Amino acid sequence: MSRGATPIVARGLVKRYGDLAAVDRVDLTVETGDVYGFLGPNGAGKTTTLRMLLGLVHPDAGSIRLFGRDPQSDLIPALHGVAGIIEEPRLYPYLSGRVNLELLAAFDRAGEGEAAIEEVLELVELRKRADDRVSEYSQGMRQRLGIAACLIKRPRLLLLDEPANGVDPAGIRFLRDLIRRLGKQGITILLSSHLLAEVEEVCSRVAVIAAGRIVHEGSLDELRASAAPSYRLQTTDFERACAVCAELNALRGLNVQGDELIVGVEDDEGLVALSRALADAGIGIRSLVREQASLEGLFFQLTEQPDAAEVRA
Amino acid sequence: MIGATLTAYRWELRKLAAQKRTWLGIATAALAPVVFLISIQISKVTPHDGPWDTPLGPNLRHSGLAIDLVTLKLVAVIGPAIVVALVAGDIVAGEDMAGTLKTILTRALARGHVLAGKTLALFSYVIAALVAYGALGLLVGIAAWGFHPLTNLSGDRISALQTLALTFPAIGVFALPVVAIASFGLFLSVLTRHSVAGVAGTLLYALALQGLSALTPIAGARPYLLVNQFNAWHDLFQTPIAGDAIDQSLWVSALWTAPPLLAAWIIFRSRDVAT
Repeated sequence: MSRGATPIVARGLVKRYGDLAAVDRVDLTVETGDVYGFLGPNGAGKTTTLRMLLGLVHPDAGSIRLFGRDPQSDLIPALHGVAGIIEEPRLYPYLSGRVNLELLAAFDRAGEGEAAIEEVLELVELRKRADDRVSEYSQGMRQRLGIAACLIKRPRLLLLDEPANGVDPAGIRFLRDLIRRLGKQGITILLSSHLLAEVEEVCSRVAVIAAGRIVHEGSLDELRASAAPSYRLQTTDFERACAVCAELNALRGLNVQGDELIVGVEDDEGLVALSRALADAGIGIRSLVREQASLEGLFFQLTEQPDAAEVRA
Repeated sequence: MIGATLTAYRWELRKLAAQKRTWLGIATAALAPVVFLISIQISKVTPHDGPWDTPLGPNLRHSGLAIDLVTLKLVAVIGPAIVVALVAGDIVAGEDMAGTLKTILTRALARGHVLAGKTLALFSYVIAALVAYGALGLLVGIAAWGFHPLTNLSGDRISALQTLALTFPAIGVFALPVVAIASFGLFLSVLTRHSVAGVAGTLLYALALQGLSALTPIAGARPYLLVNQFNAWHDLFQTPIAGDAIDQSLWVSALWTAPPLLAAWIIFRSRDVAT
């Protein structure tokens, strides 16, 4: 592992299943110390991307470097210091949690031994149940054991795919706290999720993927700033105001909520054009209130109209 | 390289030991001579009927040492195939279906080492099943019919101790084609990624091999068919002890073992793990 190398650099990743491009020219850069959100709806291509990063799936095109090494040609060295959970932790249900960790520690050939296993069991609060079979674990306990299985590898880069799936609220809170703690310890984390709140809570940077393509990459603040504001408009003549707005090219979007119009404008010029058009039509403005787009709204905007969103990003 | 394979092998053994199907397979193998002995004891068949016509069959009821050897002939080829298929068809496919394959393939062992470990563990299971078969067969056979000399295939009497000493080598020779069937099961397990397909396919393969050996047009090729290698152990019960069939079984079985293993490795090392 090259000490100074970037944890993840992926360029032009493509994976096709028949005619379907599950991942389509994905570029991804995760810097050291990032807690990086990989956000997208189910089926957007997140898991396939993570599988390619971990060498489980071979890309049809593109390149990957993990700390400067190519997992496709040099898998074992590339995965040194890299651990991950894809979809959900899959461990041997007929073995105990502790034996599962012993097995994976042996497969890591790190010689960390019993002390490391005890340490990670303590960290994920599974020490008391470590000798029970995994088949007797709850979903949340399995997720925690999966993270423990990653941590015995002493990773510098951790790839987590939907870690909150199927976990109860207390478990989710525990996992988010744990991810934050691991991030503060200097572990670079790529957190894949379809839950905006999860990413918003723990991540510093984010890539949004939809239909196999990255539609935004940057910090959450940049994502927020990328959204043009909307205005909540009340007029003296609702029907005619609708007609005027519908014909106005300067508007980015138009929605109706009760007797209010929600209009999107690209910039101040658009707002001026709107005011003039309404005045020219003899329609009075009762109120015009600016609204910053919510992150959630942006997420849906980006992921439901990937082509349009890509142009904006 | 060897250390990595041994690590995978050790843990594959541990996983096999923790699974019910492993013990079901070993128990099935171990109980085969017991069931056969009981069926002989309670049946009314007379000498020169049924099992008495098989090689060493005339020793039944006279020497407990005969039970393992006669049963070998009776259960081949399908008996070992059932025992082998239980584990061989599942050893990779089961992990693929359960998703644990992706867990171990993102650690520090290369895919080749993982597959080599699984292959060695599978072969160890075959040996364990045959040892269990031999040991329990001897125990119940001796308990029922005593520890007596045996009349070998040349019609000569051989002492009980010599027979005992030859029994496990005979089972070892019998293991050669069984390992070849196990290799094909492993290949199917890798190819199909489905346990049931792997297990059922292995059984169908054994049936097809038996069918193949019965085809008249290929009678000339019979010595090179896998089914014929199940009788190679007969060499040990001739006077003098022969070795030609055993030698042939060694290389013929190896020829039937290597291609499926090679094909399994080629598929396994490069395929996507998408479950």
